[in-house]
Amino acid sequence: MNATASLPLRRLILLIVGLALAVILLMALLGTGSDFGTILNTFSTRFLGIFIEAIPFLLLGTVASGLIDNFVSADDIARWMPRNPVLATLAGTFMGFLFPVCECGVVPVVRRLYAKGLPVSVGITFLLAAPALNPIALVSTYVAFGFGAVLIGRFMFTALVALAVGLVFAYAGRPQDVLRPTTLVPVMGGDGTGDVIPLYARTPRKPLLAGLRDSIVSAGDEFYEMGRYLILGSLLAAAMQTLISQDVLLALGRGPVISVLVMQALAFVLSVCSTVDSFLALAFTGTFTTGSILAFLTFGPMVDIKSTLMFLGVYKQRTVLYLILLPLLMTLLIGVWINLNVAF
Amino acid sequence: MTTISIPEHDYDDDDQEYEYEPLHDHRRETAQQWVKVALLIGLGIYLVYNIASGNITNYVNERFAWLSYVAAALFLLIGAFSALHLWQDWRQTKIHSHDHDHKHEHHDHSHTPISWGVLAILAVPLVLGTLIPSRPLGAEAVSGSMNAASAATVGAMQSFNVPPEQRNVLDWLRAFYGGDYQQFNGQPADVIGFVYTEPSFDANKFMVARFAISCCVADASALGVPVFWDQANDLQQGEWIRVKGTFNVDSFKGDEVPVLQATSIEVVPQPEHPYLYP
Repeated sequence: MNATASLPLRRLILLIVGLALAVILLMALLGTGSDFGTILNTFSTRFLGIFIEAIPFLLLGTVASGLIDNFVSADDIARWMPRNPVLATLAGTFMGFLFPVCECGVVPVVRRLYAKGLPVSVGITFLLAAPALNPIALVSTYVAFGFGAVLIGRFMFTALVALAVGLVFAYAGRPQDVLRPTTLVPVMGGDGTGDVIPLYARTPRKPLLAGLRDSIVSAGDEFYEMGRYLILGSLLAAAMQTLISQDVLLALGRGPVISVLVMQALAFVLSVCSTVDSFLALAFTGTFTTGSILAFLTFGPMVDIKSTLMFLGVYKQRTVLYLILLPLLMTLLIGVWINLNVAF
Repeated sequence: MTTISIPEHDYDDDDQEYEYEPLHDHRRETAQQWVKVALLIGLGIYLVYNIASGNITNYVNERFAWLSYVAAALFLLIGAFSALHLWQDWRQTKIHSHDHDHKHEHHDHSHTPISWGVLAILAVPLVLGTLIPSRPLGAEAVSGSMNAASAATVGAMQSFNVPPEQRNVLDWLRAFYGGDYQQFNGQPADVIGFVYTEPSFDANKFMVARFAISCCVADASALGVPVFWDQANDLQQGEWIRVKGTFNVDSFKGDEVPVLQATSIEVVPQPEHPYLYP
């Protein structure tokens, strides 16, 4: 996954960091009434608050992903899958409860599952649903928002959108139109038992202790991969809260449509891991509509910059476009509908 | 991980290239791996320090402080195992470079390629956390303006079972919610908070304020009770005070609301738990 993502991603990250720093400096120089020291102090407190609250969930996520990597083989998952396509799509929606992967961990898993002959639509449903519909994301959303509309809405709408998009592909997509040729080979090969791609060759199970050790070491690598998005996202959220005046935020955040679009754009750009995005969303609850917060929490785990780059390694470009546009439009509709019809 | 590990150390096969660029790259990569381990352990130690010093309550609701124990333990565990792993790798390559008939082995688990830029990003929390003194959000963090009616956002929970003298700022605002302010006339109060003033406040009026957080400072909202005190001009914005007095409906920013008529104000140190938890 690094091979596909690293170069443009690195430039993008540098760009975002540069921009954020420039904005911070500019705002500090222009002055918001108080001096640079107090602004920096407030900014630092806000940033560390989000970071410290979120980091346990990110680490738990990385450990879970390490464990899946070392102990669960794609054969197992393929064997447990129901044969009936509708049942399988439903199972795909809730598979995240067995495999708590975030949106970055889910792509490699899906790719391996396709190699084992998983139906295209089930893979898509799993891909979209698992990052938000898993125990770690559930608990972090609960910690951030408590039990209520946001928690229930997030999980209900994620399931709805993921199922709908999966069904679209079940009825309208043939594997050769959807998947990239390299992913396609084993799918077309039928049972997927042949050693079509040596990468997916069955490896013997690791002994328990060695597996645990490797899981923890790969959790460190995963933290390196994912930590940057959390930190950049937290920096941006803290900078917004500290530097941008409440009035400006309210002007954006109170519009029933514009607020949803803004939060969707933020979700896409920030690319924050789905296990911790609740804490970023929390920073916007005072100023943004509930519909937009929900759109952030449902759209973000499905699609963002880093997952788009990873999608391109599995699906054809046109499919990736649909994978972005369908969730985008559906969560936009849901968010606007909530803003207009459900008063909070 | 399905990463196709590109063999980066092919130079082992033809020895003439051995001394040049790749060796240097390898050394840099090792250094970066160690920096990564140092960051993991450093973040673990930083969290432990935060818990031990009590600074953690500047950032998160005390109710969720235990999550930081989990994070600290995981950081230290992952850091320790990664260090062990690196050390074993290093020993292995050392042995192999001594006997010249080496067969390359230390790529049975490939490392993720690492860049200094990303390491710098990962160091940001550590740098901010150690270089900038840890302080809770204060008066300067109130964005926009605060008015007495903002209590509505806190919710209309009952706090009448708390005796008046023991109510904090949050309890009072909850009690006020509903609008029948006259019933509070004459009720005694004793609250702690920081001084918050705005240029638009009437002479001798200010607010005694607190931040309320339910999860972490990301959702912090500033709450304040208006106070009347004839020496209000002597108070410093943001300093922590203890106000005693009685409530009386009075005008504040053009509204008729309960205003605490202070009888005594003393400057106090910042409380151990600077935030209120709804």
